[in-house]
Amino acid sequence: MDKAQYMKMAAQYIVDADEDEIEKLAHAYLDEGFDPVEMIEQGLSEGIRRLGDLFDRGEVFLPQLIIASEAMTKGVNILEQALPKDQIGKKRARVVLGTIEGDVHDIGKGILVTMLRVYGFEVIDLGRDVPIATFVEKAKEHKADVVGSSALMTTTMVGQKALEKALKDAGLRENLTTMVGGAATTARWGAKIGATFWAETAGDTVIKLKEIFS
Amino acid sequence: MNSKQRVMAAINHQEPDRMPCFGANCMATYEQMEKVQAFWPKGHEDGETMARLALASYTILGFDAVRVPFCQTFEARALGVKIKPGKLPGNMEGIPGIDHPPLYKLDDTPVFPSDFLSLGHIPELLKAVSIVKKEVGDEVPVIAGIIGPFTLAGSLIDTVPLLKATFKAPDKLRPWLKLGEKAGTALAKALIDAGADIICCEDMTASPELIAPKTYKELELEFQTRQFDAISVPTILHICGKVDSIAEWMAQTGANIISLDTKSNPRDIREKCGPDLILLGGVDVATTLFLHGPEEIKQEAEKSIADGIQILAPGCAVGPGTPTENLLTMLQVAMEH
Repeated sequence: MDKAQYMKMAAQYIVDADEDEIEKLAHAYLDEGFDPVEMIEQGLSEGIRRLGDLFDRGEVFLPQLIIASEAMTKGVNILEQALPKDQIGKKRARVVLGTIEGDVHDIGKGILVTMLRVYGFEVIDLGRDVPIATFVEKAKEHKADVVGSSALMTTTMVGQKALEKALKDAGLRENLTTMVGGAATTARWGAKIGATFWAETAGDTVIKLKEIFS
Repeated sequence: MNSKQRVMAAINHQEPDRMPCFGANCMATYEQMEKVQAFWPKGHEDGETMARLALASYTILGFDAVRVPFCQTFEARALGVKIKPGKLPGNMEGIPGIDHPPLYKLDDTPVFPSDFLSLGHIPELLKAVSIVKKEVGDEVPVIAGIIGPFTLAGSLIDTVPLLKATFKAPDKLRPWLKLGEKAGTALAKALIDAGADIICCEDMTASPELIAPKTYKELELEFQTRQFDAISVPTILHICGKVDSIAEWMAQTGANIISLDTKSNPRDIREKCGPDLILLGGVDVATTLFLHGPEEIKQEAEKSIADGIQILAPGCAVGPGTPTENLLTMLQVAMEH
């Protein structure tokens, strides 16, 4: 199989959310001695981009996106192991991400973590149900460039406002990009609380962050 | 007409004296808590406090219904799920939620305890319903909430494994949906015995924003229909998000009223579902009611009514920090129709 075919198949398996086939394909590709970075950038990423478009158009739904994003992570991990350490490359920026304390799930954030990693960001994933103090502490500890928070409910979105204030109080806000998202939030909310930007979807977030850290 | 006559007239397709106004989900706010001196977390777990806070939607706001409970954890807690308290940033009280790790894995066998109705806080919820009923009699309808099969299944095995199973192994979900249906229906019957006039089933996880519409049709519809068949009083079905793509099947469940998030399109839904279904909804909770003021609320409510909403309501659970004035503005619009 030639390289172009590998790319085509990788993209298709991502769209189909087929974890097993992605794994097999990544190993076969490496066995041929091809460049791992190319498959991440042109195969897997192309698949997740196409799937994102289908999702935005309402043609595929969240469960498929979750499984595809896990398949993507598996594929990336296999391919990255084949890279010499010094070739892993400089990261665009360091992002601390979490879901505000009190929220029920972090499905959307999980997808964002995968996409950011694929697009060359270093992500420190704080998980779900994260206290404000932890966001601040981790931002400081990891010298983060970006702090992102997701809020799914009207009861938890106030936490994003508290986070902005806590970052200011800790003297970190000036040197940070802050981004907010999640089902309960809107562009207006993001502007009101003073976040650098609001994004609706994982894809949207990646586009906006890439503009800032180009 | 009093509130109960008004709401029942709307449900029975008779002409109410004006449009009813109430929420299908939690209507409690911090301002109401202050006024009636009934606070969370006690209001989540103590029947008497719960009843006092629930009455505030009638006594303080003048809405056309009272509603218990304020959270979605009663069945789950009684089934053994770990619950975390509703602590919010800034030491504010919110609603309790499902904690981790989940009680079960997808391949486990679910267990329904024979003394389900005496477990967790269910006895306090039933007590709250009887207190509220004694207070309002036939003046105001008492709404009691249950959780839909899909959402309850998600509380038992966790949402991510649930969603993944809809794609990979949907049949494995049937025992969980069956248990979810059984628990919700058993609770609904006890709530009716305690005095509930209307049962509202919240099924957040069955939203097309989380699962494929096809999953709703092929998996959830059967269990939801079975549930509504077993409930003897009028029913409300609430699913969050834009539900246009599943509304046709939501109508087939037998629910009398469908409670719509403002992301849904009442015109489309009316067209798909015909004249029998009652549409409740109208004003967005996260932005309009919580952050905006009277002007935006009036505009949005009027538009929703023009689009076919028959019972004016917040589109989902009211944010507890929502100002009373905003809720009263919404009621004002209903009173003009």
